[in-house]
Amino acid sequence: MSRVKRIAKELEECRQDTQSGVSLRLNNENDLTKLTGFFKGPPGTPYEGGVFSVDITIPNEYPFKPPVMKFATKIYHPNISSVTGAICLDILKDAWTPILTLKSTLISLQSLLQSPEPNDPQDAEVAKHYLANKAGFDDTAAYWTKIYASDGDKDGKSEFSDSALYGIDDAIVTQFENMGFPRDKTIEVLRRMSVKSFDGVRDKTALENQILEELLKECS
Amino acid sequence: MKVNIVEWHGFSTWHWNLATESHPENSGYVDELCGICRVAFDGTCPNCKYPGDDCPIVLGSGCTHNFHLHCILKWLEQDTSKGLCPMCRQTFTYKNLYPIMTEELVNLQTLIDGHRVMRERFQTDNEQEFEAFEDEDGEQMNG
Repeated sequence: MSRVKRIAKELEECRQDTQSGVSLRLNNENDLTKLTGFFKGPPGTPYEGGVFSVDITIPNEYPFKPPVMKFATKIYHPNISSVTGAICLDILKDAWTPILTLKSTLISLQSLLQSPEPNDPQDAEVAKHYLANKAGFDDTAAYWTKIYASDGDKDGKSEFSDSALYGIDDAIVTQFENMGFPRDKTIEVLRRMSVKSFDGVRDKTALENQILEELLKECS
Repeated sequence: MKVNIVEWHGFSTWHWNLATESHPENSGYVDELCGICRVAFDGTCPNCKYPGDDCPIVLGSGCTHNFHLHCILKWLEQDTSKGLCPMCRQTFTYKNLYPIMTEELVNLQTLIDGHRVMRERFQTDNEQEFEAFEDEDGEQMNG
């Protein structure tokens, strides 16, 4: 089995390298095909301060076929599914070559966080948010980093706001909550309609009426 | 003083001669790893036991990247390789240094040729499609 020797070598090299900020761990001592990779969010991005973990599965044909990787940490990024963690990156598909390693691939993921490609999205909703409102996207991505990718205060979780999680302006949710609609239903409808804020909306009343209509349907 | 040699043992070492015309300064010895399996060239690919002629190396001629023959064979067997060098993604071609065409070298040549045919077919297909597209366009313009 050629892949076993190479994976063992890669693990050893990664263990000795303290510079790259990338680490690899076997999920189970006796299985070299299931690993977890860790790296830090790049500085100067909304992912700064977060530690991201990536599920790695090594196929039989490795290193001739790419490793299967997906984010285990939830992350808000145009090229990564916000639901499943699936990654859209060429080297994990047809641009893979056997000189790439698990470490170099994790470093590529780190640089993907630095330079998103919203025009070739994995998560269309997130990409739309990125293109329409970069500042709003950054806030949501930073928020996700804070609640999902930070170690430490796990008990701080109760504080997080469900509206910020989807990048929805809390004022809108409160507005409909005050009318007597349940908070979770309001967020569900706003998500479905991709309404994040009223900024830049030309006919605010019409949109409000649309939301109301949907909410009434939802709650009837 | 007279010394009688009772017994003697001969030793020898060997290594691949990777000196090439483009890199004459590599006086022959290169302490390098095969980029695919990450084992030294003087060692074997992961599936072989004995280094040397049983597990030869291949020198790239388009680029200057070298691999164990068995490693580059496995890579070129993948459709996704598109016949490209794993290091630099140029079309992979090799220098034939071996006097005898072994079965493995024949396989290597077949794979390289196969990828070339695929590439050429892909190219002509695209050209034809492009021409068809142009024709359609032309008709519309005329109509």
